Amino acid sequence: MLRSNSEDLIRKVIARFVDQEVIPVAEEHDRKGEFPVELFQKLGSMGVFGIRYPKSIGGSGGNTTLYCIIAEELARGLLSLAGTTAMQCLMGTDGLYRFGTKDMHETFLKPALRGKKIGAFQLTEPEAGSDLGNVRTTAVQDGDSFVINGMKTWSTSGPIADFHTVLCQTNPDKGLKGLMFFFVPSDIPGFSHSKRFETLGTRTTLLSEIYFNNCRVPSEYRLGQEGKGLKVLLSILAEIRAMTGALALGLLRAAMDASLRYAKERIQFGKPIGKNQLVQSKIAKMAVDLEASRLMVYNTARMIDSNESCLHQATMTKYFATEAACRATDEATRIFGGYGYSMEYPVQRYYRDSRFLLYGGGVHEVLQTNIAKHYGL
Amino acid sequence: MKIIVLIKQVPDTTEIKLDPKTGNLLREGVPSIINPDDRHALEAALRLKEAHGGRVAVLSMGPQQAIDAVSEALGMGADEGVLLSDSAFAGSDTWATSFTLSRAIRKMDGFDLILCGRQAIDGDTAQVGPQLAEILDLPQVTAVCGISSFEPGASGRSQVLRRVRGGYQRLNCTLPALFTVVSEINTPRCPHMERLLRACKTKTAIKHWNCADLGLKTQEVGLAESLTQVITTFPPKTRRKSEILEGDPRSVAGQLVDRLQDNKLI
Repeated sequence: MLRSNSEDLIRKVIARFVDQEVIPVAEEHDRKGEFPVELFQKLGSMGVFGIRYPKSIGGSGGNTTLYCIIAEELARGLLSLAGTTAMQCLMGTDGLYRFGTKDMHETFLKPALRGKKIGAFQLTEPEAGSDLGNVRTTAVQDGDSFVINGMKTWSTSGPIADFHTVLCQTNPDKGLKGLMFFFVPSDIPGFSHSKRFETLGTRTTLLSEIYFNNCRVPSEYRLGQEGKGLKVLLSILAEIRAMTGALALGLLRAAMDASLRYAKERIQFGKPIGKNQLVQSKIAKMAVDLEASRLMVYNTARMIDSNESCLHQATMTKYFATEAACRATDEATRIFGGYGYSMEYPVQRYYRDSRFLLYGGGVHEVLQTNIAKHYGL
Repeated sequence: MKIIVLIKQVPDTTEIKLDPKTGNLLREGVPSIINPDDRHALEAALRLKEAHGGRVAVLSMGPQQAIDAVSEALGMGADEGVLLSDSAFAGSDTWATSFTLSRAIRKMDGFDLILCGRQAIDGDTAQVGPQLAEILDLPQVTAVCGISSFEPGASGRSQVLRRVRGGYQRLNCTLPALFTVVSEINTPRCPHMERLLRACKTKTAIKHWNCADLGLKTQEVGLAESLTQVITTFPPKTRRKSEILEGDPRSVAGQLVDRLQDNKLI
């Protein structure tokens, strides 16, 4: 029976959205450093935020592969919009989906999947980045509720989020085994945030510190079992890393497309600069990196969709695709020569934005150690 | 209430490039899309459905890959789709296309309105809608830019706004009828992911009809039935003439307005 291929069709629809609605306004949003509310809400109305959730809770009934396709295409247009979308599709809403009550789904999750509410994920603290055993935000049980105190930093969408999935320590003596996630709406007493951070890239992604000062939440706002916070995180870590790889893949494509176009258009010494072997070498390396990143991202995504254990593959994917995107965006600014240094062309934005990918989903200095451990070192 | 929307899959470009030797359309690297005016027709149908209830069906004729256009239309909100695809349809001119579409519409279960885009960006003829209305003996309104009232039913009628040179025309029209629409009628919505995924499933409401399904013989369709035949295709030769206007800014502005008026551009 003749039917469309869902992956091709969704890629085509999102690609057109990016070409027609994201790319024309990307530079302006980046320059102003504003959260692109209109684009975010439009993605919500298209059911993008629910792509990996079942229809029964207002999702679109897709999978991780489709989610990566969307992330890749959006990143090609504006990495920070793609990053915010990833937060809304995965880290910012997954705990609520898996452990929230029916009421919480109705009040928070369903509106979030339509782009009417924004979710954020609070993991990192000043003294606890890769070292999560050192999380100092505490949740102390008091009758039927928990009282949360502490602070988080590098919170994506933190200043504008309506609710947060917060990693807390419920038993400081237990270290990693005392961790637990809690659901915290932004409008409860004691919740506040800092001014947004000024950042090098992804300037439309709003980042800040988040403060919890005697925030009291009901016990049904626990997301998962006591002491299982790390397990909950690990259960989506492969997906987070595959998605970060997809973001890198999209950015790499943008850098390569721009480089290729410029290499054909820019005439020096009577011929396009793309006729010079050193420029060809840069393009060739980008092309190889692009193909390898694509294979790694979608191989990992398909493993996740088949419920195969693949944290190792996902870690390598995130590491390789991000490094490849950083190389490509750097080379793109060189192919553009002095114009790569100008704010007039988007390659400077690709270069600045690429640095964001180095940190989210695990810093590469730690990831390389994780990869080596897999081989018994 | 049922509305049938005609959609065509076309190359995504407003600047058609032709092979200078063969005159054939260069499709390499050019993605296919739903013809822009047809998206506006579908949006108009979906808004009428939201206001009055009923169903929206899309009908397309083209190669098998045109299934993507039908799926996308379902993603936007159409309830059912029909793709007419058969190698015998190849080479159809606008008349043969209209004839084949008319047979498909007669096979579909009645309708209150047929909506289509005014013209496709590839052929640019704006003929299929009007020809189809003639074959089906329907009242037609072309270049519709607004539907101010719509009352489907046994003695259905609609009031529409039509774009004409230098202004607009307001018309009352009995239903069933055929309207061709222009882009200013609305802003089409984006497809929804869940609906797109549903459209790709085997159980989805998309029918695939060939020549025999329409009760037609192969010699009654396609190139054989076409009243026109393309002898050759070539890009028009364009000549640009530059003229430098001189004087102070006020005088140059005045001269520019005169030139634009002389050439009926404003």
